[in-house]
Amino acid sequence: MSREDQLRRRAKELLTKEGVVMVIGYRAGKRPGTATPAFVTRPEDADVLIFDDRCGTNLAAYLPRVKHRGKIAIVAKGCDSRSVVALLKEKQVDRGGLVILGVGCDGVKEQGRLSDSCTTCIHPNPVICDEMIGEKVAERTPAPDPLDDFERLSPDERWQALMTDVSRCIRCYACRQVCPNCYCPTCFVDTNSPQWVGKTTAGSDNMMFHLMRAMHMAGRCVECGSCSRGCPMGIDLMRFNRKVAKVVKERFGAVAGLNPEELPALAAFDPSDKQEFIR
Amino acid sequence: MQTVAPTPSGLALGVRRSELLLTQRIITSAALDKLVAVWAKSAAVYAPVKVKGWTEYRRISSLAEADLTQVNAKLSARGLLFPQSETMFRFETGRPDKVEETATPEAQVVLGVRPCDAAGIAVLDKFFSGQGETDTYYRRRREKTTLVGLPCSTPDETCFCTAVGGAPAGTRGLDLLLTDLGGSYVAEPLTERGEAVVKELPEATAAELTKKKETSDKATAAITQRIDTARLKELLDSGNSHPVWGDLSLACVNCGACTFVCPTCHCFDIVDETRKGRGARLRVWDTCQFCLYSQHASGHNPRQTAVSRFRNRAMDKFKYTVDMIGEVSCVGCGRCIRECPAGIDIRETVDVLLKQLSKSDAMQTAECKMQKAK
Repeated sequence: MSREDQLRRRAKELLTKEGVVMVIGYRAGKRPGTATPAFVTRPEDADVLIFDDRCGTNLAAYLPRVKHRGKIAIVAKGCDSRSVVALLKEKQVDRGGLVILGVGCDGVKEQGRLSDSCTTCIHPNPVICDEMIGEKVAERTPAPDPLDDFERLSPDERWQALMTDVSRCIRCYACRQVCPNCYCPTCFVDTNSPQWVGKTTAGSDNMMFHLMRAMHMAGRCVECGSCSRGCPMGIDLMRFNRKVAKVVKERFGAVAGLNPEELPALAAFDPSDKQEFIR
Repeated sequence: MQTVAPTPSGLALGVRRSELLLTQRIITSAALDKLVAVWAKSAAVYAPVKVKGWTEYRRISSLAEADLTQVNAKLSARGLLFPQSETMFRFETGRPDKVEETATPEAQVVLGVRPCDAAGIAVLDKFFSGQGETDTYYRRRREKTTLVGLPCSTPDETCFCTAVGGAPAGTRGLDLLLTDLGGSYVAEPLTERGEAVVKELPEATAAELTKKKETSDKATAAITQRIDTARLKELLDSGNSHPVWGDLSLACVNCGACTFVCPTCHCFDIVDETRKGRGARLRVWDTCQFCLYSQHASGHNPRQTAVSRFRNRAMDKFKYTVDMIGEVSCVGCGRCIRECPAGIDIRETVDVLLKQLSKSDAMQTAECKMQKAK
């Protein structure tokens, strides 16, 4: 039985016999070569489900929005599963209300090319799941971290590169909306009294938004790359996220989205935490 | 529902000369290059320029900088007439006598506008200067703008202009249409402003005009999507509370990408930025997809849910604007399809709406008949 057949069969069983009210997976998009999230609530609709290298959207982002409906099954690649862990850690979803259908992933393709975040992926298989759909995939050798090249630049060059990139931002907040970590009912940019961040697309306002968002990702981002893929303007948002993830790993030895029992790095305090910056 | 007849824009634009058949002319690439250089002396010339893997409108000084081969620019030309952030005036707090108007923008020529985007500007003209109200900031830019269009020869899979009343070689909104024949262009003036640009050029031959028509016919045939917009409007009139919206909106992440890349979306927010007694009043693009957009001062938000915001966009494009300006405000450019981070396709949304709303419409009609029979 193919992986897709297995997925569809399990979805039907879950919906008919196992008390699941919705299976979140992917279906083919109208546009050739694309997939879009599918929300299957009736067993007869389960045949739309697919899984292949078109399926990039991190489905965990939808969990906080639909969890009130009842027990949810979710198709989870390595990165999606890590986002589920992150949500569990932050008590945004209840483990008992979830059925995690793990799928191994050989990387997501964008216009035929391996998505940037997938080149450095070290968790192609789910880190948490109730059952695997299909076999686990072989671990890949990650490509060199693109951050290395960036960090070799001088501070001025780095600033310039970031500024050039974020000045293209149109503030549509697609990066935020596709991010499983961004579940806040009111985001800091969605308040106007006080107005924390200017609303224009001037470089400084855009940079403020992106830096603040990056700070909020520290110790939480699982580097799925949904933000970069979702950005209509092609901004390398992962550069910010890779950097904060690296700093958190260096300083606290913590990697996001692996252990549901562990507190998020910035939500925990340990007397051995480095504190040389306090003088 | 009564539909309002399209009103003339009221803008002092180049007068549309549709009643007269203006002579089509021929312009070589070299002559066009010279023309761009001439324009650049007295106006800001914008054209699609290659950026990363796509094009964006940028200011150019020579034709060589432009890339007129891509299907369409990443963002529509709307930002050249209605910038994402715009300073309306500057002020000093507590000093009503110290209000400083911003300078009138310089004249601009936009080269390489695709017909869908030009149609989008024609729709914006109605929003910003129909109905008796005129938006000064839009109008002062629009009056100084010449739109030079370029028909599409090979539409993208996501293009559907012909489904919403447009065409790959449509002329609406344009001053001049240039059809590429390879090495030269057929220049079709559409307004007096366009005519003034090309009147000295040689006339196009019958063979050149035939070639032009073949190009546009081929492009038109490449777009197969059809949308029954009249039927859709009828169904949407009574389809506000149909459960289909709940299903359709599930995948939507409620970002603003679709509305910001849309050539006809025109909502804005006004904010004051003040520092040490001096400030500026700005207007910035806003979108119905954001929660804050519909937030009232009382704290109440009539469009609190994701489904209501998703529904608003579809309703706006295919119903509300038909009520307001007499036409749908979708020009079929396909940008919302290409840029949606969740892969939502407006063509599919429309298909599902037509199917599901028709079904319940048919049921309602049947129920009415049964009740009448009783």
